[in-house]
Amino acid sequence: MADDAMKTDVQLPAATDLKKPRPKKAPELPILERRNWLIHLHYIRKDYETCKAIIKEQLHETQGMCEYAVYVQALIMRLEGKIQQSLELFQSCAILNPKSSDNLKQVARSLFLLGKHKAAIEVYNEAARLNQKDWEISHNLGVCYIYTKDFRSAEEQLNLALQLNKHDLTYMMLGKIHLLQGDTEKAIDVYKSAVEFSPENTELLTTLGLLYMQLGKYQKAFEHLGNALTYDPNNFKAILAAGSMMQTHGDYDVAMNKYRVAAYSVPESPPLWNNIGMCFFGKKKYVAVSYRLSREHLVLSFDLFYLSPPASLLQAISCLKRANYLSPFDWKILYNLGLVHLTMQQYASAFHFLSAAINLRPRMSELYMLLAVALTNLDDADNARRSYEQAVQLDESNLLVNLNFAVFLYNQGDKKAALLQFQEMERKVNTQVDSNINTEFDPELVEMAQKLGAALQAGENLYWSKPGKDSKSSQRSSSSKPSSSQQPLGTNQALGQAMSSAAGYSKSMQITAEPAADVSSAPSPPTVDPGEPEDEDEVEETAEPAKLKEKKSKPKAVAE
Amino acid sequence: RAYVLTLILASSKWLDAHYDPVANLYTFSSCIALSDLHGDGENKLVAGDLGTGVCNMKLKVYHGTGLLSESTLLDLPTGMVSFLMDLHEPRTPAIAVASGPFIYVYKNLRPYFKFTLPSLEVNPLEQDVWSQAKEDMIDPMTLKEMLEGLRDKAEIPLSVRSLRFLMLEPQEMEDFVLLHKEQPIRRQTVITCIGTLKKNMADEDAVSCLVIGTENGDVYILDPEAFTILYKMSLPSTPNLMDVTGQFDVEFRITVACRNGNIYILRRDSPKPKYCIELSSHPVGLVRMGKNVVVGCSHETLHGYTQKGKKLWTAYLPAPVTTMALMDLPTRGFQAVLVGLANCEVHMYRDKNLVSTIKTPDVVTSICFGRYGREDGTLIMTTKGGGLIVKILKRTAVFEDRDSAPGPPIAQSIRLNVPKKTKLYVDQTLRERENAVAMHRAFQMDLSRLRLAAARAYVKALESSLTPMSASLTEPLKMNAVVQGLGPSFKLTLNIQNTAACRPVMNLAISFLYDENLYSMRTAFFKIPLLVPGLNYPIDTFVECLSDKGISDIIKVFVLREGKSAPLLTAHINMPVSEGLALN
Repeated sequence: MADDAMKTDVQLPAATDLKKPRPKKAPELPILERRNWLIHLHYIRKDYETCKAIIKEQLHETQGMCEYAVYVQALIMRLEGKIQQSLELFQSCAILNPKSSDNLKQVARSLFLLGKHKAAIEVYNEAARLNQKDWEISHNLGVCYIYTKDFRSAEEQLNLALQLNKHDLTYMMLGKIHLLQGDTEKAIDVYKSAVEFSPENTELLTTLGLLYMQLGKYQKAFEHLGNALTYDPNNFKAILAAGSMMQTHGDYDVAMNKYRVAAYSVPESPPLWNNIGMCFFGKKKYVAVSYRLSREHLVLSFDLFYLSPPASLLQAISCLKRANYLSPFDWKILYNLGLVHLTMQQYASAFHFLSAAINLRPRMSELYMLLAVALTNLDDADNARRSYEQAVQLDESNLLVNLNFAVFLYNQGDKKAALLQFQEMERKVNTQVDSNINTEFDPELVEMAQKLGAALQAGENLYWSKPGKDSKSSQRSSSSKPSSSQQPLGTNQALGQAMSSAAGYSKSMQITAEPAADVSSAPSPPTVDPGEPEDEDEVEETAEPAKLKEKKSKPKAVAE
Repeated sequence: RAYVLTLILASSKWLDAHYDPVANLYTFSSCIALSDLHGDGENKLVAGDLGTGVCNMKLKVYHGTGLLSESTLLDLPTGMVSFLMDLHEPRTPAIAVASGPFIYVYKNLRPYFKFTLPSLEVNPLEQDVWSQAKEDMIDPMTLKEMLEGLRDKAEIPLSVRSLRFLMLEPQEMEDFVLLHKEQPIRRQTVITCIGTLKKNMADEDAVSCLVIGTENGDVYILDPEAFTILYKMSLPSTPNLMDVTGQFDVEFRITVACRNGNIYILRRDSPKPKYCIELSSHPVGLVRMGKNVVVGCSHETLHGYTQKGKKLWTAYLPAPVTTMALMDLPTRGFQAVLVGLANCEVHMYRDKNLVSTIKTPDVVTSICFGRYGREDGTLIMTTKGGGLIVKILKRTAVFEDRDSAPGPPIAQSIRLNVPKKTKLYVDQTLRERENAVAMHRAFQMDLSRLRLAAARAYVKALESSLTPMSASLTEPLKMNAVVQGLGPSFKLTLNIQNTAACRPVMNLAISFLYDENLYSMRTAFFKIPLLVPGLNYPIDTFVECLSDKGISDIIKVFVLREGKSAPLLTAHINMPVSEGLALN
């Protein structure tokens, strides 16, 4: 204000005050808030030590009456994990200034962090009465309601928060509610609008990608995961998900490139090492497929393999064992280890991994089937048969279980039971064809089934025995793909994917393993070359191949 | 005064002109400015130093590498600006230092004027109460009660005097009232940020108004000559960072980052904020680049917004932001945002692209870029430890307008750490392949044997009560034993517990079995009292070791029921070797 007289020396106003003759003149009282700005400045710079020193001084000077100093002290305490103390301080702030919704908000926040969600909701409601239009209150109320399982109110509050102001966090929470209620479609809608609002948020992009993956919309999933990786090439979740998709399409090198980035940032992730292991495993197959040109080559490669196992398989085992070391109770890793050991013809080791997997996951038919394959090779026909029976009992739509069982029974000389299994398989094929789930079957499987059918004098009425359907052999160079029946395996989609690709191999495995056994024992049965551990065969979906080819080019774009 | 003058790595874009790690400067970006204080064409560095944070506050002026002058400040400087306040020749800028409720204006580094913030409205009820106290109508205790009542429900907060009074002990109240009652009650607030706004011309050397933000959320624009309030606006929260652009007489825009985490944009003709940006974390730095606003947030992010509050981009930072400043090189038409980070780096951003990184020896707390001395591209930084860094931009330096970190991450080319399998392992796999069946059978056989052995041992233990837990239902007992001492005498403590829910156990006895050549016990058999469920009964006894050959043996403890020879439970105590010598 201009009414202050011009002073020649502003440096000494206090001194002039003291010099005044009247002793009555009261000293200027320091303003309580005078250092608030300094406290705030240090607080936002995260210089908490200095901040605490200033607060201490300020509280000493004002005898604890400086509201802002108490407020920031409480904030810092909460950051240090002293939530109960911070709650008490915020409550004293609320006493100093009962009209501030900020104080109430913080009280509620501390209550929330202490897990007292109901109390937090009450305080938030009180704060909302003081300040109607605050997205933070609505958002936090929504989060509290999620914890109290009141999803409808939560949704209401979060939508309100979005109306007031759009924040990524609110979208995340809203999506989470839908997921908790099992409504993936709605969750996708929420994340879609979130991505529209902030197109560079990698967390939103990754979550959306994973959700699409869950629904089997691989192209869209890949699009979003790819976007996430362009904005943040080190995003672990996106790398794992995208990598597993590349892996299922056979892009092992690109997937490995991605995994290398992930392994650098998160070196101790079991799913990551599992996927890397399966990449090595898949790569080995790739090489083998190119060897298929002639029989001589094939035999040669087999001989070499027999003398010393391929390095990539050993690497696969190294990686899988590391994954298993990091997460010993993950049945998927054990499953893959069993599979790789079956490929290596280490049946005794495979038996151990598979039985460990079965102990952890006792209701999965593929595991029993693999165990049966291992047992067959270990000359334990009784247990193999029991294991097959268990597999058949648990299975719903997997043709391989029945086919393998049939082959096994045939080799055991039990033609009657083999015929029964064969007919069961026919039934499954026909239902799948009728309901249009699946009309293209793996050529290896078809070939095997035809041979077995001939041996059993059955199978004329099979879908693929009609002309023109079995000329798909050219497809065998295609990479492994999950069959629809094996989609959701646990919450970790990435691992689920890797797993299902591995499960793909599994089927090839026992087809080859079976005949290998029968060559020695029975004279007549179909002779599939025993030296083909590298065939990949699985049931494919009709709609898939076109899509997959498109996608193969995509990952490269991301990688460059 | 020691200083370092070095010339520099060829690859660097900057010349290290000066680094004084012990300049003892505690300041922030809001408190430093470059200004041609003497009108001689050489820019000086003016810094408001917070001293220790309590005392020793100074206004420091640097020229070249040395301190030119230093004058004491009365209170902590909140902000400092240099501005032209009039048209008098020579055109030397004035320095305005905001501190507490005052602005001290310096001209030619001499104190020139002191501006005080207008007092805030005082609660009339409070006024009444104090006037009653003045006339000695109420005693201090009543005054205290009335003020407390006011504090709890009044719309307008109490003045400092009342608050201070409420903190006092009863015996101090009388004096306080006597001392203060004659004075009028005033309620004051403090300045939290300061900026300048050109009055009516856009020129570099045009007269500027001061713009100040206060603790209670007001923004004032002051006349540069008369220091009257030209304009007042209010905000919902306390401002802490401010950016001003435009001209007061034409159109202006004040961007204010507030303590509640929001950014408000104020314009002429509107006393309320025109636009509001809600951030998800606190703003730490605010810089305007052209028409956009760049905000550094405490969640390690940097956001770009349009001047209407629409979000443009977000960049993620590797560390928390400490301060931000604009780097403006009008001669080259180059603008960038400098962001000081807590990991001892200063990042230079153009939009969301990281253009360049400067490593600093300490965490930077303030940054100022501009003309220093006669050098246009000078970067001045102060550090947390009180250091002062001056760098000069090389004239040959070129900044690529692209992100300096594109392409695949480096990690992609790092080899995976997959251990190689040994020759031995390979041999073993081959062996397994050949002998899988035999191996499997051997394993199954051994497994069955193991199970059988385990089951047998278990049954035997149960039958002969070898376990320290009693298996019988009528006397569920638990026992453990502790041996104390170095020898030759040991103290043996048996802890016996009845684990039944409510039934006591009676008529029990303990007996010891040991090699009598080695050990002797005063009583090898005694009765134990009734055992109440849940309580722990420590029973002590003493063992004497008879051998001095350094050998030890097992002592077996049996808990017996009267009239039965089979023990309820058994414990084997491995005695330690006696380390002492027996006294005969």
